[in-house]
Amino acid sequence: MAIIQTNNLSKVYGSGDAVVTALRDVSLTVETGEFVAVMGPSGCGKSTLLHLIGGLDRPTAGTIQLDGDDLSRLSDTRLTEVRRRKIGFVFQFFNLIPVLDAVENAALPLILDGMKLAAARATAAEWLQRVGLDGQTSHRPDQLSGGQQQRVAIARALATEPALVLADEPTGNLDSRASDEVAGLLRQVADEWQRAVLMVTHDPRIAAYADRIVFLKDGSIIDQARLNGTPLEGAQLVRDKVEAL
Amino acid sequence: MSIQLTLAARYMAGRKLRTFLTTLAVIFGVTIVFGLNGLLPAFSEAFRQNMLASAGKIDLTVTSASGGTFEAEVIAPVRSVNGIDEATPILRQNAILPTGQAVNAVTVVGVDPESFSQVRPHSLVLGRYLQAGDKNALVLGEKLAEEMGLKLGDIFTLPSAAGATDFAVVGVIATQGVLGVEEVYVPLSTAQAMFNQAGRLNTIEARFAAQADRVQVAAAVQAQLGNRFKLGEIEGGGQFLSALAMGQIVLNLFGVLALAMGGFIILNTFRTVVAERRRDIGMLRALGATRGMVVGIILAESLLQGLLGTAIGMLIGAGLAYSLIGLIRPIFEQFLHMSFTGRPVFDIPVFIWALVLGVGITMLSGLLPAISASRVVPLEALRPMVGVAAQRAARRGAWVGAGLIGLAALTLISGAPKAAAAGAFLVLIGLVLAGPALVRPIALLFGRLLTVIFAREGQIAQGNMTRQPGRAAITASAMMIGLALIIACAGMMSSMEEGIGRYLAKSMGSDFLLMPASLVLGGGNVGASPELAQAIRDTPGVQDVTTLRLANSEARGTALQLVGIEPESFARVGGMEFMLGSEAQIYQELRNGRGIILNGVFAVRNPVQLGEWVTLKTPDGERAYQVVGVGSDLLNAKAATGFISQANLAADFHESNDLLLMVNKTPEAEVTAVRSALDGLVKQYPALTVMESTEWRETMIGMFGKVVGSLYFVLIALAIPSLIALVNTLAINVIERTREIGVIRAVGGTRRQVQRMILAESLLLAILGIAFGILAGLWLGYSLVGAVGVVGFKLTYFFPATSVLIATAVGLIFGVIAALLPARQAAQLQIVRALRYE
Amino acid sequence: MGGEALWDVKPAQIYSTLARLKESGGICEQTVDGDGEGPDRRVYAITEKGRAELTAWFDLPIEREHQRDEVFTKLMLALATGEAEPHRIIQIQRTKLYQDLHDLTAQRRLANPKTELAHILLLDSIVMHLEADLRWLEMVEARLDEIQRQPVPEPELRPRGRPKKNS
Ligand SMILES: Nc1ncnc2c1ncn2[C@@H]1O[C@H](COP(=O)(O)OP(=O)(O)OP(=O)(O)O)[C@@H](O)[C@H]1O
Ligand SMILES: [Mg+2]
Repeated sequence: MAIIQTNNLSKVYGSGDAVVTALRDVSLTVETGEFVAVMGPSGCGKSTLLHLIGGLDRPTAGTIQLDGDDLSRLSDTRLTEVRRRKIGFVFQFFNLIPVLDAVENAALPLILDGMKLAAARATAAEWLQRVGLDGQTSHRPDQLSGGQQQRVAIARALATEPALVLADEPTGNLDSRASDEVAGLLRQVADEWQRAVLMVTHDPRIAAYADRIVFLKDGSIIDQARLNGTPLEGAQLVRDKVEAL
Repeated sequence: MSIQLTLAARYMAGRKLRTFLTTLAVIFGVTIVFGLNGLLPAFSEAFRQNMLASAGKIDLTVTSASGGTFEAEVIAPVRSVNGIDEATPILRQNAILPTGQAVNAVTVVGVDPESFSQVRPHSLVLGRYLQAGDKNALVLGEKLAEEMGLKLGDIFTLPSAAGATDFAVVGVIATQGVLGVEEVYVPLSTAQAMFNQAGRLNTIEARFAAQADRVQVAAAVQAQLGNRFKLGEIEGGGQFLSALAMGQIVLNLFGVLALAMGGFIILNTFRTVVAERRRDIGMLRALGATRGMVVGIILAESLLQGLLGTAIGMLIGAGLAYSLIGLIRPIFEQFLHMSFTGRPVFDIPVFIWALVLGVGITMLSGLLPAISASRVVPLEALRPMVGVAAQRAARRGAWVGAGLIGLAALTLISGAPKAAAAGAFLVLIGLVLAGPALVRPIALLFGRLLTVIFAREGQIAQGNMTRQPGRAAITASAMMIGLALIIACAGMMSSMEEGIGRYLAKSMGSDFLLMPASLVLGGGNVGASPELAQAIRDTPGVQDVTTLRLANSEARGTALQLVGIEPESFARVGGMEFMLGSEAQIYQELRNGRGIILNGVFAVRNPVQLGEWVTLKTPDGERAYQVVGVGSDLLNAKAATGFISQANLAADFHESNDLLLMVNKTPEAEVTAVRSALDGLVKQYPALTVMESTEWRETMIGMFGKVVGSLYFVLIALAIPSLIALVNTLAINVIERTREIGVIRAVGGTRRQVQRMILAESLLLAILGIAFGILAGLWLGYSLVGAVGVVGFKLTYFFPATSVLIATAVGLIFGVIAALLPARQAAQLQIVRALRYE
Repeated sequence: MGGEALWDVKPAQIYSTLARLKESGGICEQTVDGDGEGPDRRVYAITEKGRAELTAWFDLPIEREHQRDEVFTKLMLALATGEAEPHRIIQIQRTKLYQDLHDLTAQRRLANPKTELAHILLLDSIVMHLEADLRWLEMVEARLDEIQRQPVPEPELRPRGRPKKNS
């Protein structure tokens, strides 16, 4: 089932001489349980695409269907509600609220949605455990490593059980090991919890975790690579390598 | 706890210094409002209690509606009323005792011993009570006797119309406190003789029969006497109570102003809060927080801040009230002879008022930033951190502000004093609005000056301040209120000082004055009989004498104090300034028929035309007087006053004692010779003192100066919030620029240089505040002086040079003090941590 | 040591290798008689020559093979001849590389770092080479237009035989 479907999405910034066309006629579909990576040179409009799909900004032209709603037509209040219920965000700079501890941060969207505090905390703690953050639940962000902070952010994104998780360079501030962990976690989000995941990254290794890679250039999709198959083929690759010895 | 409050509490705890300073701003205002509002009821309560303690034994008092004396025969109809058990005639007069005594004033109560004991029972402590047939016998309260060191058989000298009268103390009774002035009891006939009031009374006190219907009896008495008389409680407290009410208003005004300054501080804090947390707020919006929730979070924080400040302010206010009472109690008991058992009263309205003001102003100041926070778009969370770049001053605000100031200028030009006074407040608002646009020019102007002292740091400081013109302007606005108050009050005071000098020279221009020690208690002063004036007139070296007499009346619903003058000599020796009517004609008209000069205070409340008739209440009913002029003198500048001829005063008000005498010597006579002659004559009148006018004028102006001096202290204390505002802003700046300071240190800036940078910035901010304050203060003062003119007290505006200097000094000192803590903080930043600071 | 997969070798492979080594004189064969129960067993031992060669192998660095990059050749030919779209070549290659990377990372995720570290390190080696290839493709793609603008050098015409007359 398609969770997101964009149709000829365009975004133009500025006016007059200073217009920047950040996105040009982008049509993209993401299914449930699918993990899609968006790649492309800096300034090609990756973040812009994510912002539009996440209801953080409005398109200049085109439509975005998210789980049946046309985002470009919703009022600010409804859009806010969609963000709260259907979308989870993971950002490069984690963006945790510094004065709240890990559980409270993860519970934030639930609390904003009106859930009782105790219930919200319990749910959040569960998700923290699932993303592998057990011990440090009462730590504040500044007492956590980058990788741990990003786990909290992922738990926060998943806590409301959204249909779609959007991640903008989630590993941009992490070393390779923590990057692998975070990417693996997002893979798990798609495989085990059947969420659609749309992730922007510059790192080929991280993009390779996805089911599909969308290549953007100058605001347009120039190529898509569907990566299917099993690890078995990879095993063959290794075997060749060993044999070459 | 809701998420809003949790976030608010955590954020506040994360910025302790700023939270502390912001709270302090609220505390200061709430302390004033709460503490003093709690204190004032204690005064009126104490006062009422004292009244009731004595009045409780008296069922009914009868006084003349005009406040004057009436014939003794009135006692008969009162006694005749069914339900009146006993009534007693009383002549009661305040008497100022000669200086040098332990007590300044007493109330002389002339009584008919027998009936008086019936109406007002007493308990004898020593000796005996007054008896029929006593002449110069006197009974006094135990406490007074103790204070004055009087024993049975001692002589007590009281001032009287004939000079002084000696009494022998025959008894001491348990003290009955009334109105703070101690009572001494003498036979009625003696009192009447002494005060030149033969056969007259001013009070009848009566006791009801047991089981009498109080309301019915009172109504019957009123019906018997007619509306010349007034029934009810003991009079005289009203004035005191209304003075208290006035004080309450003024103190509340101070509190509100302090809170307004607090409001600016809070505004700055919350603007910073929002700027600092744009990312967090954007994040919350991205996570699905609605605009309302964001407003809620900021308002929750301001609510918490307000509650915290208000609660602490209430505590400190209560503490202040209790300690002030501790300080004031002895003063009250000694000088006002009131037992002061009052405690501060914090009833529900006081709590509500403090809460509404404290929390209300905090939340109001939080509202604008909260709204701007709700405009933060979710995308802000995703933009990479960019250092705070220079903010542009809001254009629209500047134009509106300029418009308001322009409007104010028009009101000033229009010459309408009331409009001009309103315009002065427009200036305040206009400056606040235009402030951000003025920051740059002022910074450039004074920044150059500053670079003389702070060669390197001045430039940076100037740049730093202009980066946040909004914040600088708000800080300056808080300072402006404090300093403008100093300058405006000072402008008023210096103009009044000059005005008083001028009015004194005009209306008290005689060479000598003979006056009671205290001019305060208008009706309570014992005057001198006309013989004194005659004796002075006959003294060699004296050219001219004129006298003032006093009575009380009412006209057009306004209590009116009547001054009796002798028009011809008054024109020569005394004088006043007229606003309506020509001087020569007025004095002429005063002599023929019933003419009256009304003063500005009365005329403002009841506009009158020349030739109009006003009806005055007299002890014998109503009398119509024709207005012959409107003018003011200094002595009576505060009260609604009418001037009539002494002949009319004697005929209609039965008052022929001179309260104040003005004497001119012949040009060739020696001052000292005339003075010693006058001193000799006055000896028998202990209530009067001889003064040379110049000397008296100097004392008056000196006294005024002292009042002004103490007022300065109050005003400077009131400017303290502007200090808090400065510290708060600097603290905010230091935190915001932590990383930059780290860079400065990293590239070789010394701690000292960092400190000096902050100091320079603080001084520049202070200069901005001073500039605003001086401008607003001068404007406010100028138009207030104009407004005083409306009351018939024409003043020329005097530029308050000293106070401009004082305000500048206060502002600069505040600037230095404010920099201490933030500068230290900035200098002690660890470079590595500062650089890592996000 | 380091995981099953790494040491998992087929018997046929072993025999052919042994035969090759014996031929070159690196090892020698000794037949050991079975004790009557089992069949005879063949045992191989390293020779002096073989040991010397092994020591030399350990001591010398391995030469990496450059320039045997077929993708590069494809691209250059496409550019020079215009027979194919260079972008398409990049896309096809990129998809393949990502597919390999995808499989490898999946496998790598399945490997247990506690017991199969050697295997993981081998995987990492391949992953990194793939990454490098991908980055290189990215770079080429970004500068493709620039390359196209640089003309292919005209081969210098070396006249064979005698020069023509009347020229
Ligand atoms: N608010 C804005 N106003 C004007 N132009 C903008 C704005 N936001 C983005 N752009 C422009 O739109 C284009 C696409 O920006 P976008 O942030 O989507 O790029 P990106 O692919 O995410 O780049 P990066 O990999 O560097 O994050 C850029 O040219 C950028 O300059
Ligand atoms: Mg981006």
